[in-house]
Amino acid sequence: MNDELNYMNTENLKFFGKVNASISHELKNILAIISETAGFLNDLAELAKQGKELKLSLLESCSNSIVEEIQRGFTTIRQMNRFSHSVDVPVMEVDLMETLELMAGLSGFLSFASHVRIENKDKDIKTISTCPFLLQHLIYQILCFAYESAGPTGEIRLHLSTENDKGILLSFFSSTQMPVERFPDEKIKNISDTLGVEFQTNHSFYELNILIPYTCEKIQGLNYERK
Amino acid sequence: MSENEKINLLLVDDEVKFLQAITYRLKLKFFEITSATNGKEAIDAAGKGRFDVAVIDLQMPGIDGVQVLESLKKSHEYLEVIILTGHATIETALACVKLGAFTVLEKSCNIDILVQAIKDASETGLIKKSNRNEIRMEKIQALPLDQPSMGKLKKLARWIKPKNKAL
Repeated sequence: MNDELNYMNTENLKFFGKVNASISHELKNILAIISETAGFLNDLAELAKQGKELKLSLLESCSNSIVEEIQRGFTTIRQMNRFSHSVDVPVMEVDLMETLELMAGLSGFLSFASHVRIENKDKDIKTISTCPFLLQHLIYQILCFAYESAGPTGEIRLHLSTENDKGILLSFFSSTQMPVERFPDEKIKNISDTLGVEFQTNHSFYELNILIPYTCEKIQGLNYERK
Repeated sequence: MSENEKINLLLVDDEVKFLQAITYRLKLKFFEITSATNGKEAIDAAGKGRFDVAVIDLQMPGIDGVQVLESLKKSHEYLEVIILTGHATIETALACVKLGAFTVLEKSCNIDILVQAIKDASETGLIKKSNRNEIRMEKIQALPLDQPSMGKLKKLARWIKPKNKAL
């Protein structure tokens, strides 16, 4: 039991570190673009001082690029903030659609990430009572599993359906064949066991299905010790 | 640097806006630039053009910077490669230098540092080329004058043939 717990703690910490590292990489890219664009504006100003003609279209394009990158930075920081706060409470009502969007965004920073499209966004999906951090970890790992075969040019579609009484069915559709014989791997299986997530047997090379319970009985009542 | 001394530069980065901004800036410094947004494009471009220096981002989807570095160093003897990385660690830098990178710079370093590194890399490539030409010339000059012409040609061919290529 202790070994299992240690394994889970290590894996969760690794996940937290990995996501934070990818966020820092994304932020650094954004700052590098802003830095080079500002540097180019400086170069243009120097040339203008020497009497060279200044193209307004270039100035406009540079300022637009800086504004866009700042917005991208704000979005990234918002995602980082939401992710960081997901460890605040062990069990809570979780909006699954929000979690999917967050994980699609954060896993998108990985160099091998595919394009992710979330379907039926407008559908009224009930919230679920679960551990937000573990659920994020699970979705992130399954996305990574799908990315490995789809690659940066592929597409993963996420689809939610509430037809089942027991919980919400989450489907991952890939544009390329996935190695389903390796699904779920040990990491995914361990997180799923803790969350009470069931694997549907109708996996195909292009489709993975998991059933997320409305209430995760296994971890209800779990609470962090508060001083 | 004057316009007559243009260095042919291959810039590789999957961040299109970064690539665009750095291309603009380096063009103002009189470099002749070809850009690529992924590893495959970079390897293809290097196969078609004659470049003095390549500046490559380390983390890219698909073929990453290390793989591009390996491929370019294997097939373009005098092309010097500078690695640009967002998160340089000593281990990464050492690994890249071991694979033949001229240097590893952090993204985004001061443009003057990058420009100097490109110039140094280009000069190093030229020196290597010139050293090799000198060795060839010395060998040609050492050929015995009394040897038949076909023998001389065969010897020359052995010295000048590119690596791994049959004549």
